[in-house]
Amino acid sequence: MVRKPTPRSTKSSEIVLRAEALRPTIDLAKQVYQQLLDGEIPRMRLPLRTKQNITFQMREGVWRLGRAMGTRSARKQDGALMLLRTFCLVDFINEMAAENKTSTLRELYYISEGWKDGKFHSEDESNLLIEDLEVLCERLREDFRLHPEENGASVIGDLTLRERNRKGLVKTFNCRDDVGDGGYALPFNVEKEKIEFVKTGAKFIIAIECGGMVDRLAENGFDEENEALLLHLKGQPARSTRRFLKRLNEELKLPVVVFTDGDPWSFRIFASVAYGAIKTAHISHYLATPAAEFLGVTPSDIETYDLPSDKLTEQDVRALQAELTDPRFQTAEWRSEIELMLKNGKKAEQQSLAKYGLNYVTEKYLPEKLSDMGILTR
Amino acid sequence: MPGAQSLAQQLAAKQREISVAEFFERNRQILGFDNPLRAVLTTVKEAVDNALDACEEARVLPEILVEISKEGPDRLKVAVGDNGPGIVKKQIPNVFARLLYGSRFHANRQSRGQQGIGISAAVLYAALTTARPTRITSKVPEEEAAHVVELLIDTQKNAPRVLSDELELWDRPQGTRVELVLKARYTRGRQSPFDYLKNTAIVNPHARIVLLEPDGTRITWERATTEVPPVPKEVPPHPYGLELGELGSRLKASSRATLGETLSKEFAGVTPRALRDIFARGHFSGKEAPDSLHSEDLERLLAVLHEVPLLPPSAESLSPIGPLLIKRGLRNVLGEIRPEFFAPPVSRPPKVRGGNPFVVEIGLVYGGGLPADQPMQLLRFANRVPLLFQQGACAITTAVGNLDWRRYGLDQKGGSGLPIGPCLLLVHLASTKVPFTSEAKEAVAEDPEIDKELTLSLQVVARHLRTHLSRRSRRDMAGEKFLIIQRILPQLAEKASRLAGKPVPDLTAVITKIMDVVAFEATAVAAANAGESALALEVTNYTPRPRVLELFLEMPLEAAASLHAEPAPDGTDAELGRAWWTLEKLPPSGRVKLLLRFPKAQEVEPGDLDWFVAGVDEAHLLGAEPLPGDWEVRLPRAIVEAAEGSGAEAAMSEGEPEVDYDGAEAHASLDEE
Repeated sequence: MVRKPTPRSTKSSEIVLRAEALRPTIDLAKQVYQQLLDGEIPRMRLPLRTKQNITFQMREGVWRLGRAMGTRSARKQDGALMLLRTFCLVDFINEMAAENKTSTLRELYYISEGWKDGKFHSEDESNLLIEDLEVLCERLREDFRLHPEENGASVIGDLTLRERNRKGLVKTFNCRDDVGDGGYALPFNVEKEKIEFVKTGAKFIIAIECGGMVDRLAENGFDEENEALLLHLKGQPARSTRRFLKRLNEELKLPVVVFTDGDPWSFRIFASVAYGAIKTAHISHYLATPAAEFLGVTPSDIETYDLPSDKLTEQDVRALQAELTDPRFQTAEWRSEIELMLKNGKKAEQQSLAKYGLNYVTEKYLPEKLSDMGILTR
Repeated sequence: MPGAQSLAQQLAAKQREISVAEFFERNRQILGFDNPLRAVLTTVKEAVDNALDACEEARVLPEILVEISKEGPDRLKVAVGDNGPGIVKKQIPNVFARLLYGSRFHANRQSRGQQGIGISAAVLYAALTTARPTRITSKVPEEEAAHVVELLIDTQKNAPRVLSDELELWDRPQGTRVELVLKARYTRGRQSPFDYLKNTAIVNPHARIVLLEPDGTRITWERATTEVPPVPKEVPPHPYGLELGELGSRLKASSRATLGETLSKEFAGVTPRALRDIFARGHFSGKEAPDSLHSEDLERLLAVLHEVPLLPPSAESLSPIGPLLIKRGLRNVLGEIRPEFFAPPVSRPPKVRGGNPFVVEIGLVYGGGLPADQPMQLLRFANRVPLLFQQGACAITTAVGNLDWRRYGLDQKGGSGLPIGPCLLLVHLASTKVPFTSEAKEAVAEDPEIDKELTLSLQVVARHLRTHLSRRSRRDMAGEKFLIIQRILPQLAEKASRLAGKPVPDLTAVITKIMDVVAFEATAVAAANAGESALALEVTNYTPRPRVLELFLEMPLEAAASLHAEPAPDGTDAELGRAWWTLEKLPPSGRVKLLLRFPKAQEVEPGDLDWFVAGVDEAHLLGAEPLPGDWEVRLPRAIVEAAEGSGAEAAMSEGEPEVDYDGAEAHASLDEE
């Protein structure tokens, strides 16, 4: 199965390792060459990345890619183009390896301008293809020297870590005492060779959807008072954010709660953190934190705390209905919450708690919820 | 009572002839002079209609020059000149300055003008609004000089008043020019002289028309043919169209000795056999003097005339444009918008209504610069004259709107009304008597016979449109495949081979598997001999197996008669317009070419030819259709076996069903990282 990414360093012994990482891409090219030689229409078989094709893995506690396969064939224009792009991409990756370079996803999108008919028309297209290549070669995109830009997710709280910076210098600092108000910004590479956890005084992690709520909790001193780490997810969390959270949970044995808006899209944020995202189901075991728990805002919170709410839009309703057929939400709790939201037709933001004053969230809502979940004792 | 007048005397004092000026004032709308914009259009129209009629009668190719210039605020000078036969001096005043004077009103044949109101109404309008006389220059070929006459209409007497009459040398052998100054305004656009002349040019492809606009712009519609349409023959009236009064007066006016002679010589369609029938049923001897019949006899005669089967009215009194010239006219005038499709025009055989023969002709143009989100442009014509007004009240519009165009590939709200789409429709109704809704001659009145013919011909062109649209969608699909094999696949093969460290293999087999069609592409090619049209048909076997093809061609009948083909066809059927070939065995990726030549007069285009193939499934044909079963062609054994085999082959190539990875449903929504 998928191996851990090989370290980003320039030691000569590791270049061999990296060449090894690229071998599957060449194997793909050989496979298509053989098809052409045999007079067959070029094609590749890939596991389908759909919500119908994810299965729950007992051992890892996450949802992973199932066995259903699709065929990408040059018989149709879309398929032929994706095959062409695949080999343009493989070619480019091998060129980068020869020159010992890396590229951001966005740069790759622009590089493709020179690929004639293989050029990408959107960044979604290039990102999808990279994921396809990850699945096909059982490697991570970092192995292909492709990485995202830093996305600005951050952590605040009593966590001491050691980071090897761009210049190769190792620095040790505390994510509460040694950083500014914005907290410690996560790099795209959060693997051990980059970041080591030294120690922490925190008892649990609270992962938060919106920056405004992170600021509120920090200003109210919630992290210090309750010995918590605040992790800003920044909407749908990037791979590095999810990986970082998983490492905190597993290596420091810290419980994780997820605090989001109360709407259908936030439920998906939680699902991708805890269960594994559909698009990256091939690496759920590497990204998902099955121990994470949903704190709120739940549809019943909207009622219990009488929160200011908005009406569900048509897209919201469609998203909720899609969740009812999503295997990840097939628990009694989720079904009843989703059905409740559909019934009431209401959604609410995290910050709607400010209705009762700025301290309400830290003095009333979170303590109540966290003690219900057994994380805090009152 | 002394001194008192009787009512009759009082009324008699008031009764007098209505002056033409009064008549004009009350009928401005009907005559087409109700506003300054319309006045210039009507003036141009009447003068041009006359000019075209005159040229046709004289068998000359019309050269028409329309000059419109400003003569002060709200005043325009309109001059229309032609190269027609000219008008003899004596007749000039009557033609231009007497209402209801004309040569064509009594003639039972198709012509543009009829009542003799048009041009004199313009003369009258000019005099009433600007007090300026109309100036006519006309030269007949027998005379050395042209007559230049300035005249007005005496509105009291409905008679010409000639102001001056001079001789002038003219630099052309013959022709007429009329020049009027009138209260009018010029714009270009819908219902403008520009629009009128453009549409006139479409249905009169033998005319060259030049328009000089007030701002100096010069527009020329060149002629698209040098054939002058045949002059419609004057034919005697057909009894089917007769009413009692006319029958009586025709019999009275007859100089023939007997009723029998009168009926067979002065009416159309009355055969000797029909004559015997008429006399037997109506109890006539046939020897009666024609003017001896009185009311009861006349009524009986008319009744049997309507009962007895007669020969249909002759079409010689009509001048249809014909399919070839409709297409040329449309192409000539609409060429700049580059339509993607000219449907083969429909010109139906003549039919009769009320004793008058009529013909319906239809042309359709699709695509190119025509707006896709607008209702279809409908160009209506009656006797080669564009109808620009009253579209909604016209029977032609009704017939177009009643057809369910959705069945033929156009959008149409609720399946009625003008369809939406990049489409232009030309409808021409030619008749010795077009039934207009009013004297303004702007719209055709409803008539069941005409409606039936309209509907039938509309269905024919609409079917051509549907065929074109379905072929186009198949071509688009094939276009995708050509993109794959011509661009994407070679690049893919190059990359994959290089990464594998191997040379690029031969792609023939892959290409035929992707395409899996036999492609037929007909193109116009440069003709070897001047004056010919030449077409090439390229047949490429993009399927993975060798094919013996039985190829059939269906073409216009005239074209079939003069076809030269290399290789020569294995058989032809000139009556049905068909030819066929058995092509040599084509290996995968093999290609063969057929060359077809036609004489110039045919102007055959790739779109005029329909190709059919026996023994190959529709899914494997591009640019040709499977041979229809009703052709009843006996196929060679090999072809039949091949056809039976192809079903099995198709089933095998399907293989196990595959989920298309790049299909729309395959991917997770993008709202997750």
